[in-house]
Amino acid sequence: MDYVIETHDLSKQFGTVHAVSGLNLRVVRNQVTGFLGRNGAGKSTTIRMLLGMTHPTSGSGLLLGHSITDPKQDLEARRQVAYCGEDKQLYAYMTVKQLIHFTASFYPDWRSEVAASLLDQFQLPPGRKVKALSKGMCTKLALLLALARRPSLLILDEPTEGLDPVAIEELLQTLSGLPADGTTVFFSSHQISEVERIADRVCIIDRGQLAVDLSLDEIRRDHRRITLSFSHQPPEHLFDMPEVRSIESNGRQMIVVSSHGAGAVVERAKTADAVVVDVVPVNLRELFLGTVQDHK
Amino acid sequence: MMLFYKAWLESRTRFLLGLLVIAGLSTVFVFYNHDVRTVVTDHDVSYGEYIWRGIFKGQLRDIYVILTLLLGWGGLDRERTHGTAGHTLALPVSRWRLIAARGLTGIVETAALAILPASLIPALSPFIHESYPWLLALQFGALWTVGGILIFAIGFLASVLFAGEYSAAIAAIALLFGYSITTDLPGIEHYLVDIHDVMNGSGPHGFTTLAAISITAAATIWLAGYITARRDY
Repeated sequence: MDYVIETHDLSKQFGTVHAVSGLNLRVVRNQVTGFLGRNGAGKSTTIRMLLGMTHPTSGSGLLLGHSITDPKQDLEARRQVAYCGEDKQLYAYMTVKQLIHFTASFYPDWRSEVAASLLDQFQLPPGRKVKALSKGMCTKLALLLALARRPSLLILDEPTEGLDPVAIEELLQTLSGLPADGTTVFFSSHQISEVERIADRVCIIDRGQLAVDLSLDEIRRDHRRITLSFSHQPPEHLFDMPEVRSIESNGRQMIVVSSHGAGAVVERAKTADAVVVDVVPVNLRELFLGTVQDHK
Repeated sequence: MMLFYKAWLESRTRFLLGLLVIAGLSTVFVFYNHDVRTVVTDHDVSYGEYIWRGIFKGQLRDIYVILTLLLGWGGLDRERTHGTAGHTLALPVSRWRLIAARGLTGIVETAALAILPASLIPALSPFIHESYPWLLALQFGALWTVGGILIFAIGFLASVLFAGEYSAAIAAIALLFGYSITTDLPGIEHYLVDIHDVMNGSGPHGFTTLAAISITAAATIWLAGYITARRDY
């Protein structure tokens, strides 16, 4: 597979805090990949390390084949990468037109016709100062600046934060169509429903480490939530199996999330005289919560 | 080129305000010299002495020092406070280029502020039937420029060391104040050049001194770049 992002044991430590520890992340080209994690899981730190804003404590990474720890190579990678940050702040003292002109000067293959078209589509007033724009308009402007440069990779950190439902809808539609034009999208989010809607693949980071790297199809096809009922207290280590992702116990009832269908878990349950109450496919929310909530 | 444009847009309010203050006060010092003279010096000093005491050595120079310190304000740490550092750092330019654009813009603005009174004083003096030699005024302009660049560099370094909105400016003023006191201490005065004396022409201002000050300013800006290049944002 062709990867636009590859990290190898990437770590970042701030004092005694391990923000990212030994992260091995791979992002496939021409797909939309959602990057999920709790607050402080290391999503933003990872993105900042990829873009050369923060220096890794150890490990390495490749962004479009360029080393993120080599300033010259990282600079080369940034020519092909567009980034929309978490706070979505742009230079308040510039007008929309000045900011477009300023940003365009750094990218030789800037597409003025795309910028003009998006300016019209997003209804951004060219003469208005950035400080007078709403948060939604700022996000649209950031997106315009990102898309008009024909990036190979678009990285977004919490892109829908602070946007109204209409703006979110427009943004998600735009993002989902980008891989068809050759732009890979990698975005972090807290909004699982948004990730589930547009992502081809999802990576979940927990305590600075990669916990899940799956396609949405794999999740739908292979993951099952099995609800079991026992006539007695179930043995503690009954489901010590590699395919079991999480276990939630509630008295004599147990919910097991399996990453490889329900067969093996059901077989094991039967040996302990359990009654299988329910087997249903797992959605991304359940997988996420099962991964980050320490049920197992 | 666009990085210079950005640096100019970021600093232009401070610069234009400085320009207005220096031009306004220079004009007041010339046209209202009889009134101002009693405030800044004695009535019986010559016009040339009055200009030196009031402008090139006195109050206007102190204002210039504060203005150049404020020109050093800004940079990536301030951008981080305003949330725009991500956009800047994602541009395909090195941090050294960002520092160079901001540093050079500040140096040009510092020089422009220094040259302004040196041009206005000899140009306006004939209107009140006085004269001030152009050559002497421009010499002070050159001394202000060299001294001003060092002061700008101190403000520039402070903006890298102290990220807060106003803490960099306060720290730079404190640093300069401490430096001025140190240069007046007995025994130290022979080893440290007082930048204020250099600027008003009463201290050493030969080529070697000016070259040493310029090199120190360049090294200070380089240090700011070195710290910026290694910092996490």
